[in-house]
Amino acid sequence: MVTGEVYEDWEAVYRDNIGRVYGLMFGKVGNRADAEDLTAEVFVTALRPLLLPSPVAGVRAYLLATSRTVLARYWRRTLGQQVTELVGDHPGDMTTADTGSHAVGKAERILAALPDRYRRILQLRFIEACSISEAAKALGVSVANAKVLQHRALRRAADIAAGLEAG
Amino acid sequence: MRGPGRFIEDLLGSRRPRRFRASHQDAEVIRTAITLRAARPGSGTPRPEFVSALHERLAAELQAPAPQTQVPQTQVPQTQVPQRQASPRRRFLAAASLAAGAAAGGAGLDHALASGQAGPGQTEPGQTSAQGTISPDDGTWQTVLASADLPEGTVRAFDTGVVSGFAQRQGGLVRAVSGICTHQGCRLRLAAPKTRLVCPCHGASFQLDGAVLSHRLNIALAPLPRLEVREVNGSVQVYM
Repeated sequence: MVTGEVYEDWEAVYRDNIGRVYGLMFGKVGNRADAEDLTAEVFVTALRPLLLPSPVAGVRAYLLATSRTVLARYWRRTLGQQVTELVGDHPGDMTTADTGSHAVGKAERILAALPDRYRRILQLRFIEACSISEAAKALGVSVANAKVLQHRALRRAADIAAGLEAG
Repeated sequence: MRGPGRFIEDLLGSRRPRRFRASHQDAEVIRTAITLRAARPGSGTPRPEFVSALHERLAAELQAPAPQTQVPQTQVPQTQVPQRQASPRRRFLAAASLAAGAAAGGAGLDHALASGQAGPGQTEPGQTSAQGTISPDDGTWQTVLASADLPEGTVRAFDTGVVSGFAQRQGGLVRAVSGICTHQGCRLRLAAPKTRLVCPCHGASFQLDGAVLSHRLNIALAPLPRLEVREVNGSVQVYM
């Protein structure tokens, strides 16, 4: 990013950041419907009071701050606790073009730390979008077994993720 | 783990997850599920349909002096109305509705007239639409009265040639509202007791702060726009 760059109008802000905000939100909620709603909420909330032209870095920091608030409100509304958050001031999240890379890297680290069958079931279901019966077939187990396997694998993955965060 | 289990199946099935009361442990599992789900190829890229639909929505909300029908007025409790009036667009709408009404009186706010469809008549009966302050693009402060002619507790009519209105001093403060009915542009009269402005055409009445007091019209009536007022060197001036 070139310092001193400015956004002239809201369309420029939108064009340049819609992908970033959406990617950020999807990484934090994991589903399209909510990611779209939250992205819309961010732009509707943020653009109205925004005074333009304005420096790119400042606008992105502001969009990130708005996204953080919108996400926190979403979790309060849905599960009653902040499951994921946009932590600290990581304007880096908003300035790198590929906001998904961080999530992908983290998912890879979690998967790599799992025993084989646990890794396989999660890969099939989460990354490769297989149904539970497709995954069961691929693993050569019953659907009921596949469900148990997925449940246990995810618990283990959560422990690993917690360890990764702490470490 | 019915709640989190269903939540995760929704994530996997690309459905909107249903809400439940999550424990701390649930949250850890869900957080991990989200991380894994977000690593599915193509996840972080918005659909082109979404990008263009949101663009359209923002353009309508930000750029155009959009018609009032876009605002869900029927669901807006009265107490929230002043907050909404804070946006420039809402102020513009109020000015536009005045201009629509004042057309008969010869007010020359051409740019606002172009949006005359945003005037009263589109809101639900019993709802007030936006009240705002008239803010001309190239306004100047114009003397409308001598301060001495507006002692405490009085109301005086004035006319600048562009707007006519009523100035009032109460509690030491001077305020002014437009004196043109927001229905069809008739000039309002100060009626006894001197606390209300009445329209000679259809009998609508307004408070001195511009709020609608009563009318028998089959439409919602917009409140009277306010004018910016100041006192300088013994003169009451409005920005016009």
